[in-house]
Amino acid sequence: MTTRPLISVVDDDESVRESLPDLLKEFGFEAQAFSSAEEFLASDSVNETSCLLLDVAMPGMTGPDLQRELTIRRQEIPIVFITAHRDEGVRPRLIAQGAVDCLFKPFDETDLLEALNNALRVS
Amino acid sequence: MENELTSVVDALPGLVWTALPNGHVDFVNRQWCKYTGLSVEDSCGKRWQKAIHVDDLPQLLERWQSSISSGEPCEAEVRMRRFDGAFRWFLFRANPITDGSAVVIKWCGMNWDIENLKQGEKLLAESEQRFKTIFDEAGTGITLVDLVSGEPLQNNRALQKMLGCSEEELSHFATFDELTYEPNRSVDADLFRELYDGKLDTLRMEKHFMLRDGSSVWANVIFTLLRDADKRPRYIIAMHEDITERKRAIEALEANQELLELAQKAARAMAFDWHIQKQVNTWSPQQEALYGLAPGTFDGTYESWKKLIHPPDWPAVVESLKHAQQTGDISAEFRVVWPDGSIHWLMANGQMFFDDQGRPSRMVGFTADITSRKRVEEELRRSAAFLAQAQQVSSTGSFSWYPSITSEITWSDELYRIFELDRTTPVTPERISKRVHPNDLAAFNETIEQARATGNDFECQYRLLMPNQSIKYVHVVAQARQDQYGQLEYIGTAQDVTERRRSEEAVDKARSELVRVARVMSLGALTASIAHEVNQPLSGIITNASTCLRMLDADPANIEGARETARRTIRDGHRASDVITRLRALFSKKDGVYELVDLNQATREVIALSRNELDRNRVILRAELADDLPLVRGDRVQLQQVILNLLRNGSDAMTGVYDRPRELVLKTERDEAGLVRLSVQDVGTGFDPQTMDRLFQAFYTTKDGGMGMGLSVSRSIIETHHGHLNATPNDGPGVTFWFSIPCDDEKMTDEAGGPRIAVTDQTTAVRHG
Repeated sequence: MTTRPLISVVDDDESVRESLPDLLKEFGFEAQAFSSAEEFLASDSVNETSCLLLDVAMPGMTGPDLQRELTIRRQEIPIVFITAHRDEGVRPRLIAQGAVDCLFKPFDETDLLEALNNALRVS
Repeated sequence: MENELTSVVDALPGLVWTALPNGHVDFVNRQWCKYTGLSVEDSCGKRWQKAIHVDDLPQLLERWQSSISSGEPCEAEVRMRRFDGAFRWFLFRANPITDGSAVVIKWCGMNWDIENLKQGEKLLAESEQRFKTIFDEAGTGITLVDLVSGEPLQNNRALQKMLGCSEEELSHFATFDELTYEPNRSVDADLFRELYDGKLDTLRMEKHFMLRDGSSVWANVIFTLLRDADKRPRYIIAMHEDITERKRAIEALEANQELLELAQKAARAMAFDWHIQKQVNTWSPQQEALYGLAPGTFDGTYESWKKLIHPPDWPAVVESLKHAQQTGDISAEFRVVWPDGSIHWLMANGQMFFDDQGRPSRMVGFTADITSRKRVEEELRRSAAFLAQAQQVSSTGSFSWYPSITSEITWSDELYRIFELDRTTPVTPERISKRVHPNDLAAFNETIEQARATGNDFECQYRLLMPNQSIKYVHVVAQARQDQYGQLEYIGTAQDVTERRRSEEAVDKARSELVRVARVMSLGALTASIAHEVNQPLSGIITNASTCLRMLDADPANIEGARETARRTIRDGHRASDVITRLRALFSKKDGVYELVDLNQATREVIALSRNELDRNRVILRAELADDLPLVRGDRVQLQQVILNLLRNGSDAMTGVYDRPRELVLKTERDEAGLVRLSVQDVGTGFDPQTMDRLFQAFYTTKDGGMGMGLSVSRSIIETHHGHLNATPNDGPGVTFWFSIPCDDEKMTDEAGGPRIAVTDQTTAVRHG
């Protein structure tokens, strides 16, 4: 594979949008950041994206909303949820609904990398 | 001649004898021999001494020897033995016969029988002694006045004792004058003067003496004038009989008579003495008036009396009379019908006397009109019946208690029923405490002690543990008052609130569950929101740091990228710190509604809100709210949250306390610095002084179910009000939490802050609009 997989980050938090793509690039991925689900859906990246790092709680369309929308559009993008709400009950629910993983912010790079590798293996 | 002389000597009425100059008797006459039964022979020489009483002989011989030596005549009184052994007193006399040169040549003696004389002397002495004894020992005070010297000559012990004076003092008229009751002095003196002058032979008067010790003595004094042979007044004897007791008794009797009349008048009771069978009206007009009869119209017969009595009451009267027949005591209450048809209640008490045949002959006693008393009794009975019914319906009993006089408590019937106590034995706090649930006993005793000590009103709830192990809840409210004699009396009610309590507890439990859930929920939400806000920048920081490390580790190292990510790390750090600042701002809530708040009123509302919770936790709350507390400017609701929080903390701190009353003291006052101070003092488990600082930190708690937010939030509220919230360990068990905030007369710098959303409660004392 000569082209590097594109990882799309959708998060309303600016510091995440700024920091995460840089780390992903250091991992050797392509990375793009979107401040909302709507912005992501409207972009060209939907078809290119190998994995979606998706915030759960956002103003407007939430992470799970976007997941449902993609399923409806038959865009089977592996999703790793990231959330600042440390609610253990959420994680199994999201995984049951098709997510590859759910990371609680702040997470360390090892967990992130493992989740991404899992996601890319799925695809 | 000699014979003639001898016959003369023999005929002399004395025992004649002669002796030689040396004292040897050489002659005795016939009288001597006849008296002594001794012959001349037996009497000569020294043998005559046999006739002298042995007790008198030594003295006689001594004198006789002395006379023989000196030649002086000898005289002595001696007892001489008669021929039959009896002794009689004789005067022994001997004279010397001398020659021309005064030499004794013979002693000539004669003994005279002086027995009768002696007897007379003795009788006189005895009589004098008797008289003296009588004089000295008589119960009557006697004084003898010598009219020649004009002063009292003698007085006896009885008089000295009666008048409290010495013998010497009573030998002056001045003393008698001084002691005589002053108003009587001149009259008494005039009477005495008549006696003194001989105008009277006897005088009797009642003399009133005022003694030096302040007491008074009444004496019946009989003066008797004694005259000499020429009928001139010589002595006055005054006999003083102490009649003080009699006088007093008479006075008391007179007072009693007066008292009786007064009592009759006051009690509107009339004494009667009715000789029933004599058919004579012995009733007084007043007695007749009680029966509505005109004076003198009662004929005194039993039948007439019967006719006066209200017929329905007659059987009861007969019963009383039968009872009187057995015991003699008359005690009856009955109605009489007056001639005008009106009915009156009479009460008769007295004594019945019977004749030989056992028929009533005489009744002595009192009759009183008790119509108004009966009316009052009837009303009392009716209202008591109402009260008893009301108490039964409401399960409320009432009581009266004089804590300083007696431990006994007067109870209504309903209270006996509630407490299931025997109503024949007196009720005391000690007896009640046997019913009180052991866990409530300390609180109960505390209440009793407080009541005894302070005389304050009290209100409390206790559980009772009944003999069948069931539990009753009793709510007691008592008001202190001064009765008409100024004695402290508690009048109060005790209500069985078991039913109400059960339903309240159910409601309370549900509500408290709800409150707990709500508290946990809101705090949970708060924590989540704090976590979310902080986790976002933290996530950025960690991600940036990872990136930074990777950029530095790359070959070649991406220094520019690392610098950029490090810069972003710092920025995210600041962001996290900003989040915290925002949260603090949220807690400090500067947009409170500032108004003038009466902290006492606000406190009372909080107490009312927490009353049930405190009761359930068996907490006794004592509120000591200062009367002159100035208003404070602040957010009333926030301040109430703080007070509520302190009360809850205090109450929670005492949940493990069983060995002492769980008492919370809530105090408001103005402190030395002029700040308004509110303190809540508990007797709970307290805390380690080292943890004091952490108490007010968020998330610090010593409570199992707590999140540790209360005190932290409370402190920030108080600080917004420019005050301080602190805790101080008590000298005894527990802690005092207190805050002080400036009152309105000190300018608050932040006054303008916040929109005035008027959440004005109509009960608050907002005095300035």
